[in-house]
Amino acid sequence: MSLSSTANHPTLNARRMDGVLDWAQMLSGVGLIAFMWAHMLLVGSVLLSPAIMNDIAEFFEKSGMAQVGGPLIFLLFMAHFVLAARKIPFRLENQKTIWEHAKLLHHADTWLWVVQASTAMVILIMGAIHMWAVLSDLPIVALKCAETLQKNKWWLAFYLLLAPLVHVHLGIGLYRIAVKWGFAGRAERKGLKRFVNVLILVSVGISVLTLFRFWFMEA
Amino acid sequence: MARSLKFNIFRYNPQDSESTPHMESFVLEETDSMTLFIALNRIREEQDPSLQFDFCCRAGICGSCGMVINGRPGLACHTKTKDLPADITLLPLPVFQLVGDLSVDTGSWFRELYDTVESWIHTKKVFDPAAPEERMEDEVAESIYELDRCIECGCCIAACGTARMRPDFLGAAGINKVGRFLIDPRDERTEQDYYEIIGTDMGIFGCMGLLACEDVCPKHMPLQNQLGFLRRKMGITALKNFFGK
Repeated sequence: MSLSSTANHPTLNARRMDGVLDWAQMLSGVGLIAFMWAHMLLVGSVLLSPAIMNDIAEFFEKSGMAQVGGPLIFLLFMAHFVLAARKIPFRLENQKTIWEHAKLLHHADTWLWVVQASTAMVILIMGAIHMWAVLSDLPIVALKCAETLQKNKWWLAFYLLLAPLVHVHLGIGLYRIAVKWGFAGRAERKGLKRFVNVLILVSVGISVLTLFRFWFMEA
Repeated sequence: MARSLKFNIFRYNPQDSESTPHMESFVLEETDSMTLFIALNRIREEQDPSLQFDFCCRAGICGSCGMVINGRPGLACHTKTKDLPADITLLPLPVFQLVGDLSVDTGSWFRELYDTVESWIHTKKVFDPAAPEERMEDEVAESIYELDRCIECGCCIAACGTARMRPDFLGAAGINKVGRFLIDPRDERTEQDYYEIIGTDMGIFGCMGLLACEDVCPKHMPLQNQLGFLRRKMGITALKNFFGK
């Protein structure tokens, strides 16, 4: 601990943003979690019937929610990255420290954080590609999605990687918000972890099934 | 039959220009109820008198014997060898200044911490030695005591990912210390005063919630609950300040 260079003037403290930024990081995360589950269920409706998925997509496009909401979600996505990046070690020196630390400690929650920070970087790139690809080619129709995946197997591989990464990142994020902000105390931690594990498995399951539904869809 | 234990111990004396950091192995026969405290003392007595490590109370009270035991920070006097595999690796606690081998200077670090968090009761009342002691509800006294149990061994700091990456982070021990004064009715500091100490990334908002502090604390302090409580409390103060109350 070294504090000799900290200027702790009351005037500086009044303008402190750390707490507000921490709220913003948490709330943007919660917003994205809610969006992603809704997204998963809406696209997953193809499992019930492609017609239902088409109707839902049409509703969002006709009401302009896809055209306006899509870019807004992209902004939220970028904002969450910028906010959370305050804690991600970008310098090699710090990356080495946290890596050595995690290897030494044999501590599940420390590894979960490493996983969360690394998945974040991949999701940042792949999520941006996905949003551009979908929003620049509206309307969303089940058959068109199926064709995209079937014509180019790389898209299938792309989503088979992106979906689990997103759900793992979401699950860990939810767990960490709950323990960090004290919504789950010491007594609830174990149960919360089990719940999040099941949630990740179910979400990845639905997403993978959805992808295969597109893959095997016939024209 | 008694196990033969192999201790891999970090050796380095920063005072000696010839010395370089390296690992050294020692072999010992395990005895009944052997703790790392007993084992290290035997190694020092029987094999290498130059081995440096800290001990004082042998009973998990003084907090001097914190070290990294097979990767996890813990107290050597509290750790029984029967709970460990036959291969035992001992490293000094990171973050703190190394005195030599397994001995680190947690004292200076905590001294600086006291200054930062002003670890004493702030009151304008003048102490009257003749007056009877002010009374306090049992419940309040007990919750203060619960947070006062910290022995300042430094294990939570050494296990903290944030403390490893940023040297100005107060860590669980520091944040908990503020929590202890915050619930003390004798301390006249306001929420805003506490916010000035820990309402930053150097304090509660720097915590990333990895919870290694909670999991390694040899005194099983309620660190997770305490950090959660203070994040919410300081978070509300942050919002009040941001929106101008």
